[in-house]
Amino acid sequence: MRWFKFGSLFLSVIMVVTVLSSSGMAGSARQELVEDSLLEQILKRGVIRVGMSTFVPWAMRDKEGNLIGFEVDVANRLAKDMGVNIEFIPTKWSGIIPALLTGKFDVVIGGMGIRPDRNLKVNFTIPYDYSGQSIMAHKELAKGFNKLSDFNAPEVTIAARIGTTAATAAQKYMPKAQLKLFDDESQAVQELLNGRAHAMVAQAPLPAFQVIKNPDKLFLPLEDSFTHEPNGFAIRKSDLDTLNYFDNWIRFVEAEGWLKERKEYWFGTRDWEDQIN
Amino acid sequence: MRFLQNKRNTRIAIADITFTLLLLSLFVYFVFYVSTHMQYRWNWSAIPGYMFRYDDSVGKWIPNLLMEGFFTTIRLSFWATILAVLIGTVMGVFRTSRSLFKRMIGRTYVELVRNIPPLVLIFIFYFFISDQIMTALKVDGFVRSLSDEHKSILTFLFASPAHFSGFLSAIFTLAIYEGAYITEIVRSGLESVEKKQWEASYALGLSWQQQMVHIIMPQAVRRILPPLAGQLISTIKDSAIVSVISIQELTFQGLELMAATYLTFEIWITITALYFILTFSCSIVVRKLELYMRRNDP
Repeated sequence: MRWFKFGSLFLSVIMVVTVLSSSGMAGSARQELVEDSLLEQILKRGVIRVGMSTFVPWAMRDKEGNLIGFEVDVANRLAKDMGVNIEFIPTKWSGIIPALLTGKFDVVIGGMGIRPDRNLKVNFTIPYDYSGQSIMAHKELAKGFNKLSDFNAPEVTIAARIGTTAATAAQKYMPKAQLKLFDDESQAVQELLNGRAHAMVAQAPLPAFQVIKNPDKLFLPLEDSFTHEPNGFAIRKSDLDTLNYFDNWIRFVEAEGWLKERKEYWFGTRDWEDQIN
Repeated sequence: MRFLQNKRNTRIAIADITFTLLLLSLFVYFVFYVSTHMQYRWNWSAIPGYMFRYDDSVGKWIPNLLMEGFFTTIRLSFWATILAVLIGTVMGVFRTSRSLFKRMIGRTYVELVRNIPPLVLIFIFYFFISDQIMTALKVDGFVRSLSDEHKSILTFLFASPAHFSGFLSAIFTLAIYEGAYITEIVRSGLESVEKKQWEASYALGLSWQQQMVHIIMPQAVRRILPPLAGQLISTIKDSAIVSVISIQELTFQGLELMAATYLTFEIWITITALYFILTFSCSIVVRKLELYMRRNDP
């Protein structure tokens, strides 16, 4: 009985203290919000930490071990405009959202498709890029296949990278086919080349590039990509200052024509090819 | 009997030759199969460049991705083993302690860690626990506030400031995992010391601490050392698991490189060779150590 009384007294003291202190803090709440924002932390630290994963030609390693690619250009320009240094944190795609949420880096700039289910977990900026999923198929196994419905059969196996919008698209458009998921794109491509999958779904232009590389084994059943999705930076929730900054930075570089020019370089040409192999 | 054991049979029998030829032909068939049936385009020429590259700005050869990953694996295994030995020694002593409470702590730790798949343990530890610890210790801010000279020392010993806190959590995670096995090695080592040693030292009026430090431990260490060195090799192999939490070690770097270059087979084979070179040279050292210990057994 005495313990119970003591406990309730203790609880009420805590409650009173909490109420008092919170009413006192209300005035400085705005100040704290500003200081807590990622933007302030990045500026104070002098370093922006960017989470990304290897996706050709969004981000990849060149012969000297440096990161190159469309996303890398975007992130580098962002850091330059903010006046801070940049650190890339290469992360497995399947674990990239948990890593963002637990603060392993500040922002994901990695061609992440804005998807409602992802948006429940993280905040997205306005799109800085649009991409689509496209499909490539094995010449012998998928002979004569020329529309998505051809692949939508139980005996068809489709490879994709785990946790990507490609995997979601494959599931949505070809629900009857068997989906085989891999940690990396190269493993999925290898599976297709080995003839253990009929087709592979991946973000364009990867399938087109692979078909150019392996014309004797692969072909493109569809001319264009079959989805159209916006890509944005992903940051942790409830940080409007940072979101506003990134949004307007994207608007700014888009208006400049810089984004389009970079996109043309990485996706329209293959001038960068000799940097990697 | 002893004579027979020591003398090794060096004659080569026909069966041995047949068997070797069989293995060789299997290997040749495999290479043939891969090169024809799978129509895999081999491109070994790119691999050396990913190990070492010539840097024009510095004017010398520097390690590239694969070797950087290789060195990270060594650093990771080294520190993880040291930490695991500390954890294992404390827990091993706890396991043989007279206090029920300590024995329970030791037992709980060992059973918990050994009965969880390492992959699951690593994910749990990395995402939930290490994050709290790293934030509380303010590791990131501390590393960044260091001078450039200190940063380069830190980079040499551990990892670059960008990857430091991740590297540290990988060390902790691996150490917790390996520590459980080392605990058992230490426990068995301590328990292998005859009971009469305890009784004799007790009779001499030594305290528990003195018995442990002067009588039991020196004898136990002798028996612990060889399996402990073996555990180091295990740590090197297990360190590949932390590639899933994006630590830039050999396996992770290899996977990243494969994603960029699609040289799947070449890179896996190179990684295999690098791991083998590392662990096999450790095995040789362990073997030497075991022989030395046996020869110097009092």
